[in-house]
Amino acid sequence: MKNRLRVLRAEREWSQADLAVRLEVSRQSVNAIETGKFDPSLPLAFKVARLFETTIEAIFSDES
Amino acid sequence: MPMPCGTMNSATRRYLRRFFVALLLYILFIIAAVVAFARYHPTGPLAYALAVLPALGIIGQMAAFGLYLAEEKDEFQRTLGILSMIWGIGATLSVTVTWGFLEKFVHLRHLDLTLVYPLYCVLTGISYGLLQTRYK
Repeated sequence: MKNRLRVLRAEREWSQADLAVRLEVSRQSVNAIETGKFDPSLPLAFKVARLFETTIEAIFSDES
Repeated sequence: MPMPCGTMNSATRRYLRRFFVALLLYILFIIAAVVAFARYHPTGPLAYALAVLPALGIIGQMAAFGLYLAEEKDEFQRTLGILSMIWGIGATLSVTVTWGFLEKFVHLRHLDLTLVYPLYCVLTGISYGLLQTRYK
């Protein structure tokens, strides 16, 4: 699944570790999600969306 | 069992603590069983109880990993744990069933069943390492 996490993170000048702390997950988890190797669950996707004050669809896309 | 090492969160710390307690119990129980059978030659129900004692330590290690999976809040780390366990189980079954047929048909040396769990631990650990590199 494609996502805009890297862009959103860069806009806020957050490192992967910064985002990991805010989401209460490991940095490795953020990296796996960001690179599209791991799809987050719906609760985590909502958490990400709330953190960036946007919708899930604005961050994640199922286009290949 | 794999040792989750991505981040040392509270679930991981609890897992390691429980794992090492179970490992210590396993070592104590196996020493107790070996000494008891060598010196006192127990029989009947006591012999059965002493014989299964070391298995309790191993069951404890598996329970510790089960609790880790239940308590781990990081879903990616939990997925890594579950995947490595599945790969470990698959690899262990593959090795043991292959060994079993070799034993049956070409009389390969008998595989002691107490070696299956250590084999599973090694193969699960290797699986965890491979999965770690896949998601790096």
